[in-house]
Amino acid sequence: MPLVTRSTNLHVSGGLIRAVGLCLAAAGLVATVAARAEGGQSARGPASVQERLNRVGSGLFAGTAPPDDAIRELKSVLAIDPQSAEAHLLLGVAYRMRGSPELTGEARAELVQALAIKPELVPARVYLAQLYLDLGRAGAAREVLTTGLAQRPDDPQLGALLAETERQLGHPDRAIELARQVLLRDESLAQARYYLGLALLDAKQRDAAIEELERVVRSGLKVADANLALGAAYIEAGRLDDGIEVLRQGTTIDPLRADMRVTLARALRAKGLLDKAEAQLMLATPKPQSGGPQFSQQQTGADFYFELGLLRRQQGRLQAAADAFKKVLDTQPDRDDAVRELAEVRRLLQNKPRRQPSGTAP
Amino acid sequence: MITARWPALLLLCLLPVSINSHPPRASATVAGPTVHFTDATATSNISFVHDSGASPDKYMVETFGSGVGWIDYDNDGFPDLYFVNGAPGSANALYRNNKGDGTFTDVTREAGVAADGNRSYKTGVAVGDFDGDGYLDLYVTAFGPNILYRNNGNGTFTDVTAAAGVAGGPNEWSTSTGFFDFDRDGDLDLYVVNYLDYHLDDNPYCGLRKPGYRMYCHPTLFDGMADRLFRNNGDGTFTDVSKAAGIANPAGKGLGLAFCDFDRDGDTDIYVANDSVRNFLYRNNRDGTFTDVAYGTGVGFDINGKPQAGMGVDCADVDGNGFPDIFVTNFSEELNALYKNLGGGAFEDVSATVGMGSAFAPLGFGTRLFDFDNDGDLDIHVTNGHVIDNVKLYTPSFSYAQKDLLYENVGGRFRDVTDAAGAAFQSARVGRGLAVADFDNDGDLDVVISSLGQRPVLLRNDTPHKGNWLLIRARSRSRNTYGLGATVRVETPGGVQVREINNVASYLSSSDVRLHVGLGAAASARRIEILWPRGGRQVLTDVAANQVLVVDEP
Repeated sequence: MPLVTRSTNLHVSGGLIRAVGLCLAAAGLVATVAARAEGGQSARGPASVQERLNRVGSGLFAGTAPPDDAIRELKSVLAIDPQSAEAHLLLGVAYRMRGSPELTGEARAELVQALAIKPELVPARVYLAQLYLDLGRAGAAREVLTTGLAQRPDDPQLGALLAETERQLGHPDRAIELARQVLLRDESLAQARYYLGLALLDAKQRDAAIEELERVVRSGLKVADANLALGAAYIEAGRLDDGIEVLRQGTTIDPLRADMRVTLARALRAKGLLDKAEAQLMLATPKPQSGGPQFSQQQTGADFYFELGLLRRQQGRLQAAADAFKKVLDTQPDRDDAVRELAEVRRLLQNKPRRQPSGTAP
Repeated sequence: MITARWPALLLLCLLPVSINSHPPRASATVAGPTVHFTDATATSNISFVHDSGASPDKYMVETFGSGVGWIDYDNDGFPDLYFVNGAPGSANALYRNNKGDGTFTDVTREAGVAADGNRSYKTGVAVGDFDGDGYLDLYVTAFGPNILYRNNGNGTFTDVTAAAGVAGGPNEWSTSTGFFDFDRDGDLDLYVVNYLDYHLDDNPYCGLRKPGYRMYCHPTLFDGMADRLFRNNGDGTFTDVSKAAGIANPAGKGLGLAFCDFDRDGDTDIYVANDSVRNFLYRNNRDGTFTDVAYGTGVGFDINGKPQAGMGVDCADVDGNGFPDIFVTNFSEELNALYKNLGGGAFEDVSATVGMGSAFAPLGFGTRLFDFDNDGDLDIHVTNGHVIDNVKLYTPSFSYAQKDLLYENVGGRFRDVTDAAGAAFQSARVGRGLAVADFDNDGDLDVVISSLGQRPVLLRNDTPHKGNWLLIRARSRSRNTYGLGATVRVETPGGVQVREINNVASYLSSSDVRLHVGLGAAASARRIEILWPRGGRQVLTDVAANQVLVVDEP
């Protein structure tokens, strides 16, 4: 039974945003904010605005300030100075850090407004491009990044993200080239190395990819996406124990990541640890969405049911397996692996109709 | 039917009286009013049917519906009706009001306002006299170039879009729109709300990938688009001043538009309801620019600081404190928002505490704050309808067609009187546009609703035992001939009402340019003070109730 690795569908969120934020902070965003505030564009107390933006920016990127607190503070800054591009930028970042899909639009709106006020505000381009990638709009991301690179050709964040954008556009070789160019300038940039790892996976250079991703994970940066990518690569390479270990670490970094738990369940099932696989899947059960599932939730939901189907089949619960595969096809009717598995389970059911244990998928 | 006019001024003077002075209002309620609206569509001869252009491709614009406008295009004192259609090639319709007898005559072809040569999806409508000739003109927005029709004063219109320079971008998705005099130079400027940067040839698949489950996409997938502000040059042309004026925010995903002087400083401010991103409140800086003060005033978000999916909006004083409040209709499972204006630039979100919880499940669109029982305070009508036609497949408890909601204002709180308002309120529809006018001049405000892919609904107000009233037809000496933007303060023994002459609100729609004021039990208005848009004040005293009051600017 093949293990399915979906490296091309990995999306970047959560901790990586903070990681990018750290990079940006290092690149001088906070200084930019301060410089902007020193420009005295608020008539009602530039020093106060400067301090507040500095404090919020530092807290956000250091992970010491809860996004909700930052959001409140930034809104009050914008009440004083609605034209503060930096405040709009930080507010967009804070919304993104909230991780709530319903705030994605607002995050983007703030970043767009930041750029409308100050087109040269490169960090806003980085975050905006990141949001576009999250939404599956790599073309729009490339446009934003290309404009930014015209302004700042050597900016490492722009370059790294363009590499990832090219990967998502289906150009892994170009992505590898771009990521390596960035790493030549700054080999400590974990973000670029992570993107390089993903691109190498897409280019079928698995061993090289694992090497790059291991460097990211071992760097101490707590980025769940890197664990997920590395774990999936380990599984594909048959290194199940390594995969389980790195994915378990991933679940401690971000316990709410359903895709991490589904991938971990896959490894556990492949090891024959069916009860443990079951436990992980239960923690990843999709929640019903009012008005229909949204974009990325559909992908995660389909992966969940596919893995559930494989688990049920391995448990001998063929009808439950069939039900699970049918749920995959509800959302992704063209998914070949689910079609094949469903056909196989049905064949088994026909051969052993009376010996099928009862059971239903959750 | 009382149609008495007031050609001569009763009493005219200019007094240094602040229009912001508001003694506490006494109750103006007439004992036991029962609201009742009658569906008068069937006997009205209105045969218009909206064509959404619905297709298996699920283009987002198909969800939009189109607006409706009340326009007394022939100046006979009876508001006529203009319906905007949706699908490319479909015809808009103009219906002449047959002197308020409840029937209308289709005059679209002779008037030349069908707009069926336009290959765009048409959306909203604005009504105003942009050229100052005393006849109301039409501006039609679209997903594509917009259209300005000049009223020739002889029952026909001329498309003057190109000469006026107000088409907007060829790929812009324009929505609500309205005329107002933002720079107080005496002529009407034009605000156009834009929605998404959307292209029919980039139409992603959304929803489950199985037959029948494709759904319309969420606006989060797409970028917003900056609104436009066209300044009237006074010579039939306009200049796009969007950027210079500070309203060109590309983050906006605007649907609803309302004008009001929220800070009572004598000029018109702008509120834009955005879909799934925060709303904008543009304060007029009186120098040709605006500042978005949504953050400072708190009217951009819900009470938890989250953006909502704003659809329709109106702005008027519902609690009688003299400052216009803001009411926004939102998506299903969001409360409609009522931001109470406390004065001094502060608002309070009272959505959850004023008795409108029944609006949580429906998806609100068109709305107006108006006094349907003439008791001296502003009530609320909301038309509802989901945007996802197959929503039941995903959430069985939801429905595409939904009932309207009607709320009676009871001392600043609201009582849901939908079920008591007549059979018309028991019918579900895919409501979109909503506009009010007293089309039969009998002293109460009637309602027209445009429904997506359906016939519109004309609701005649037959509320018994209603209070007294005034309909104020302002005649400005400026080129803003209908006095749009004027503030009117009406005193009766029951209290003080502060209203604005303003036909821009709701969703894609335009209401009558005349100001309706319910007077409750008062047989007259003790004092009426008008602050004209260019700053002049006018005071009338002892104005008898129950008449159409024509007031000429001194």
